[in-house]
Amino acid sequence: MPRPRVAALALAVGLVLADSSVVILALPDIYRDLDTSIAGVTWVLISFNLVMALAAVPAALVARRVGPARAAAVGLAVFAGAGLACGIADDLSTLILARCVQALGGAAAVTAALELLPASVGSERRATAVWATAGATGAALGPAVGGLLTELVSWQSIFLLQVPIALAAAVPILAVAKHEAATGVLRTEVRRTGRPHLAANIALAMVSAAIAAALFLLVLLLIEGWRLTPIGAAIVVTVMPLAAILGSRLGPLVPSARARAAAGAILVSGGLGGLALLPKAEVALTLPPQILVGIGLSLVLSALTETALGGRAPQAIHGGWTISARHAGVVIGLLALTPIFTTDIAQQRDDAINAGTAVILDSKVNPLLKIDLAQKIEDRLEGEKGKVPTLGPAFEPLPSDPGDRADVEGLRDELQEQLNRGATHAFSPSFGLAALIGLLALIPIGLSRRVEL
Amino acid sequence: MNPARRAQVLVGAAIVSALALVGVYLAAGGSSYTPEKSQDPCQHRAWSNPEGLQEIANQFSISALDGAACKLGVTRETLARALATPEARERFAERYGIDDAKLARAIRAGLVRAIDDAEDAGALSPLIAGPLRGTVQDIPLDQAIELVQNARSILDTASSLLGPAGELLEEFLP
Repeated sequence: MPRPRVAALALAVGLVLADSSVVILALPDIYRDLDTSIAGVTWVLISFNLVMALAAVPAALVARRVGPARAAAVGLAVFAGAGLACGIADDLSTLILARCVQALGGAAAVTAALELLPASVGSERRATAVWATAGATGAALGPAVGGLLTELVSWQSIFLLQVPIALAAAVPILAVAKHEAATGVLRTEVRRTGRPHLAANIALAMVSAAIAAALFLLVLLLIEGWRLTPIGAAIVVTVMPLAAILGSRLGPLVPSARARAAAGAILVSGGLGGLALLPKAEVALTLPPQILVGIGLSLVLSALTETALGGRAPQAIHGGWTISARHAGVVIGLLALTPIFTTDIAQQRDDAINAGTAVILDSKVNPLLKIDLAQKIEDRLEGEKGKVPTLGPAFEPLPSDPGDRADVEGLRDELQEQLNRGATHAFSPSFGLAALIGLLALIPIGLSRRVEL
Repeated sequence: MNPARRAQVLVGAAIVSALALVGVYLAAGGSSYTPEKSQDPCQHRAWSNPEGLQEIANQFSISALDGAACKLGVTRETLARALATPEARERFAERYGIDDAKLARAIRAGLVRAIDDAEDAGALSPLIAGPLRGTVQDIPLDQAIELVQNARSILDTASSLLGPAGELLEEFLP
């Protein structure tokens, strides 16, 4: 099989699986542009993952019936068409509906790709490795790419750019589809050979929930908590995919899939534990946890996918189960952790504002200046309902008297420090819970000992 | 290195890395990086040897806010921001279900507590404190809020109330 076909299949898998996280950094812009609620905009993310979870196995069955190349090509075309609809959507309902259709097309393309890859790369084992690596890379790269596009162009560009990429990936696959049709290589009978690997799929779901938390919560912490721009946050979270690339090089050195899965889950949990215990609101301190999560996700996702697929047929259907497990994990992670951190961030925001106000009240600045500051802070809070506010402008213009100016600058810095503490701490319970979920994945990983590749 | 040994090394390295990161962040104060907690406004807040009118005014305002916040069951910081503008006061009243009459009673009580604290700290003479208590217990809400925000004006109020005796006011202040 020619290389372009392998590249096209890997690109299709990476593109579709990147879509589960690509909009994370675009959510604040979508929230503003479509004038919706935070809960509503989260469904732009959840809907895609939910439909992927539900549709992956049925899509694999369809691919087996109509021919994997035809299913992959049609799936990519649907994915591209729905991507176009996402890009021109001007209300939330249309966007969510288009995301659901995108997931349907994506599920067909990804599961069919697994059926096509063995013929392209020479063996099922190698096909599984290519498929799993493409998926893990896509998922890790998604937020950074989405953030860059949002900042440099617009959130719509994320979806519009997917259209030509998906169509380009479909072209080499179309040739196989024509060959399928011409030679009558359509599989009309769906055999069920072997039940899904329960332990590996459960572990995949748990680890995916933890990884979704790492990506989603970290991005929110950077943008909503520490007020980084989307491009700034995108640059910061690029560390995770870079570390994932490093992790993918470690994988082949250790043949034991169970050891790689266990090491990966431990690293993901350790990284999340680090994010739960950030000792200061500094971007640099997120880097070591991100490196652990990145290496860990690469190890654990590929190892568990290999375990779930090893010795099982048909590959597309068992691949469908892994896709289903991964996306169900993402949905569960988002649905379980989002309410926790939104409650916490509201509480911590209030605590931080109170702590900052206390600093102003206890300071020795002129009482009239205190009243003025209190008024401006109250205005900022009212203007940025429910969010961690940017309070710098409340201190402008600075007093002309050098003594007063120094005092006010000190108050501003102290108030900002309290806000940083509040925002950072608000995410701690969610990161901690995600770390625990990652650790609990060691139980099914331990139970999967009988299957080694 | 044989495959089994490699697997052990990988898992061992993962455990060590994860524990090291968590341990270092914990040691650096990761578990206590939280906003300072608000002090209970019902707890007495000791005055620190005030010197000069402005410092007395500052501490007087804080005592008054503490006293009023204690009565209302909110933090003094929340109350301070609520009193910043009429709109903020409206939002506060709506959120906590506090009408003007209740707010006025609480603020007057806060002002009395501030006078008590000032007297205890030796910042206000009993000669002035007595009449001031009587005065603040009847003042309208807006004036009470103004006194909390800018306690210095209470001294002018006291001065006018005391008439000629008010001229001696500064003599009783540190």
